[in-house]
Amino acid sequence: MRVSTLGFQTSASDQMQSLESAIAKTQSQLSSGLKLQTAADDPAGMAQVNQLDSQISASQQYQANGSALNSNLTIEEQSLTDATNVMQSARDLALQANNSALTPSQRQDIATQLQQLLQQLVGTANSTDANGNYLFAGEATTTVPFAQTGNSVAYNGSTSVSQVQISPNQRVSSGDAGSNVFINIPAGNGTFTTAVGGANTGSATIGPGTVVNASQWVPDTYTITFSDPTDYTVTDSLGNPVTSGTYASPGAISFNGISTTVSGTPAAGDTFTVAPAGTSSAFNTLSSLITTLNDPTLTSAQLATQTGTAMEQIDGAISNFNQVQASVGARINAVTAASSSAATVQTTMTASVSSLRDVDYTAATTQLSTEMVALQAAQESYASIANMSLFNYLK
Amino acid sequence: MSDVLFTSVSGLLAFQKALSVTSNNVANVDTPGYSVESANFSPQVGVTTSVGSFGNGVDVSSVTRSYSELLAGQMRTSQSSYSGFNSFATTAASIDSVLSDSSTGMTATLQGFTNSLQTLANAPTLPASGTAVLSAAQTLAQSVQGYATQLSAADQNVEGQISSNVQEINSLASGIATLNSQISGTTTSGAPNALLDQRDQLINQLSQYVSVTTATQSDGTMQVFIGNGQALVNSGTAQTLSAIPNQYNPTQFDVGVTSSGATVDITGSITGGSLGGLLAVRSQVIEPTLNALGQISVGVASIINQQQASGLTQSGAQGQPMFAVGAVQVSGSSFNTGTAQISATRTNLSALTPDDYVLSNNGGTWQLYDQTAHQTVAMGGDGSAGNPFTAAGLSMVVSGAANSGDSFLVQPTATAAAGFNVLLTSPAQIASAAAVQTSATTTNTGSGTIAPATVTDPTDPNLLTATSLVFSSPTQYQINGAGPTFAYTPGAAITANGWTTSISGAPAAGDSFTVSSNAGNPGDNTNLFAMIDGLSANSLNGGTISLQGAANSLVSQVGSQTQQAQANAQAQQSVNTSATAAVNSTSGVNLDEEAANMVKFQQAYQACAQLIQASTTMFNTLITAIG
Repeated sequence: MRVSTLGFQTSASDQMQSLESAIAKTQSQLSSGLKLQTAADDPAGMAQVNQLDSQISASQQYQANGSALNSNLTIEEQSLTDATNVMQSARDLALQANNSALTPSQRQDIATQLQQLLQQLVGTANSTDANGNYLFAGEATTTVPFAQTGNSVAYNGSTSVSQVQISPNQRVSSGDAGSNVFINIPAGNGTFTTAVGGANTGSATIGPGTVVNASQWVPDTYTITFSDPTDYTVTDSLGNPVTSGTYASPGAISFNGISTTVSGTPAAGDTFTVAPAGTSSAFNTLSSLITTLNDPTLTSAQLATQTGTAMEQIDGAISNFNQVQASVGARINAVTAASSSAATVQTTMTASVSSLRDVDYTAATTQLSTEMVALQAAQESYASIANMSLFNYLK
Repeated sequence: MSDVLFTSVSGLLAFQKALSVTSNNVANVDTPGYSVESANFSPQVGVTTSVGSFGNGVDVSSVTRSYSELLAGQMRTSQSSYSGFNSFATTAASIDSVLSDSSTGMTATLQGFTNSLQTLANAPTLPASGTAVLSAAQTLAQSVQGYATQLSAADQNVEGQISSNVQEINSLASGIATLNSQISGTTTSGAPNALLDQRDQLINQLSQYVSVTTATQSDGTMQVFIGNGQALVNSGTAQTLSAIPNQYNPTQFDVGVTSSGATVDITGSITGGSLGGLLAVRSQVIEPTLNALGQISVGVASIINQQQASGLTQSGAQGQPMFAVGAVQVSGSSFNTGTAQISATRTNLSALTPDDYVLSNNGGTWQLYDQTAHQTVAMGGDGSAGNPFTAAGLSMVVSGAANSGDSFLVQPTATAAAGFNVLLTSPAQIASAAAVQTSATTTNTGSGTIAPATVTDPTDPNLLTATSLVFSSPTQYQINGAGPTFAYTPGAAITANGWTTSISGAPAAGDSFTVSSNAGNPGDNTNLFAMIDGLSANSLNGGTISLQGAANSLVSQVGSQTQQAQANAQAQQSVNTSATAAVNSTSGVNLDEEAANMVKFQQAYQACAQLIQASTTMFNTLITAIG
């Protein structure tokens, strides 16, 4: 086969050029650290890298959301602790005031202290986060949620709270609306309240009662009527009978998923009521206690009843604060868990991105030296072969 | 004795000629397209005597070039394929490298925009977070616009190359025609080797620009066809190609050929070569990428703008559009004779496609043809303003009078990306909060609860007007306590004034629920989450792909087209290398071979000269003997 001299020269130079461009490519991979430089290098890999990059970026955003939320929740937790302490002090003062030996002026001193506690509670309820937004204003974050006029406090915030996304499929409440923390505190046992009929002539009393089966509870006002000291009938608000039975002290009366205990001897015609629990506000509780203590005309029995009610409501407020605090704690835990799982996922995804995109230095360096050896060989062989010609020997 | 002298002289002359052929070969060792020539010797007819025939020396009967039409054809075919893939790959690679940049890539900027919405959702009243949203929107817009600019620049570059390719083809064609005229009629024995080599070389060059087939005629001229059999050169005449403006888009070139005064569009029959590659990369990479980019831009703008209108800003007003996109591009054909105008608007994001359509009037009936999917698309409506044509997520209104044969190119998304802009200037214009809120009246005695309302028609003038749903009985309600009575179904949608909500549970007679403006709750981020959810939902192509997914597949699509073209170009290059080597082994000049020939002819020449010497000696001997 004839080897064309021009063809030999051209193909030798073509081969050297293609080796040089391979070396340039390997060199650029080594200097940029990327083996996936454009999508043409590995279209499927590039699609995967882009998707992983987006997911990593989203995951970092969720972590940032979580840490912003965490700082708000920590402030909220502290505010709730402060509010609990205020109510605890108020409870101590109420206990102190519930003493018939105290003079009216001594009770007024206690009332003054309670007024300071009320102001303190309003201050706590109007706490702001790091951005100056009110923690307990719901979504009306720029409105002062609790406005105090004299001893009465009004809620001006919203009842809904915004959400924060802490993981791809987890959105949690950013805070708690002040109405749920300070205003709508369930009275009684939280489901219903019990009361002794005003015209009772017997000595029987009724306990606070408990919920046996919440799903059977139908909220309504029920009346327990004793036709004689041992027989009773329960009727609903429309007068329809619910249940009836015989009574011996102390006896449990159960219906519609609840149970309450009557003790003592009722007279015929005595009534007791079981009504759905209403709500009371922590501020109202304090301000009515203040009003009570400032009233010198109350009998010691009235004083005892009213401070007793106040103490029960204070306990309810503290328990409500604790419940909210528990839910805040649960959210802090959720944020922490989401953040740590995000960190794990990010590590895995970053490793995948790196394996798809980043150059393997050992492999690339080996490849570079192989290509360089090939180019050197091509150059040297060309240099020696190109000089060979029969004409050199024809003298 | 005189025979010896005569015979030797014939040898001297023949070897002189042979050496001249050799020297011509050596001189042309570096001439591209030169085919090695050889002198063909033939013995001269001798004198026949009674003892036999005595030869009369030698003569060079012909000088022929070593050439194979078959090998040359193979070389040209592979050359056309290689140039085609190579010009495709070069343009595609430039687009690929722009799209692949991971920091400015669309997937990254889209995610950045979503992240900024998330940050704003953490504290919607924080102006710094709102500013960050606007700047992320700006970054997204710049990245989209940047791509649109790069793609247009690539297109302009391609248009420029198409017209310069057409000029090159014309000049090569006229060169071939001229050589045809010179070659025509010359006898085969006296074949003008240099002219044939020149013509072959021009055809080789032509094969770089477009695929070529040839046919040799009996008079030695060559017919040249390009692409799918379009005649370019016939004998001594060459057709003139021209880059003609597209009928719909004058800035885009098609390839036409002018014969007897009329210009015919032959773009469809151009294949192979750099011209074929350029036409292919334009229709397969540049235009689809621009359209797909436009589709994503329309997606972002329509989702965010819709949600902006459905939410409230910090000041309690419904939001204004955040993004602008380029409108649907409708271009009438330059051949249209009627006065019809088409105005098209996008109505349905999910039905919108990245395809281009031709709306043509066929004897009074309008037809919509999908140019990308190559199929006719059914349209609803009659094209009037009251009942517009609807198809492919578009609504089209025809005004004026069209003649049969008039047509319009409808590009739903082609210019959307170029016009993708941020319209909002202040963070206070971002509608973070839901437009309406729902509440149950506190004195309600039943257990009914009302769900949050969603906005279904942001344009309803009464959207923000407080509306109450009053239950006249546990099973019936009235809007605002008056007018018609509606039957209550727990959990069923209740729609009024542009919003939808639902009530569940058992409301009592006299209970009421209120839907009212959500103004005054600047901390609400419901609408931001609606935007975030909208951006990540599968909203394009009939709800099969998300914006992120579309942006990602755009990158990998161009990447795999580039990769494929590069791989094909590489494969065709090796085919071309071996075809060229085969041609060279037949037609190339090898200097060692020529050196050997030279020695051979030199020796023969010397031998002939020695014979003349011998003849002279013989003659002298005879003279001396006589004298």
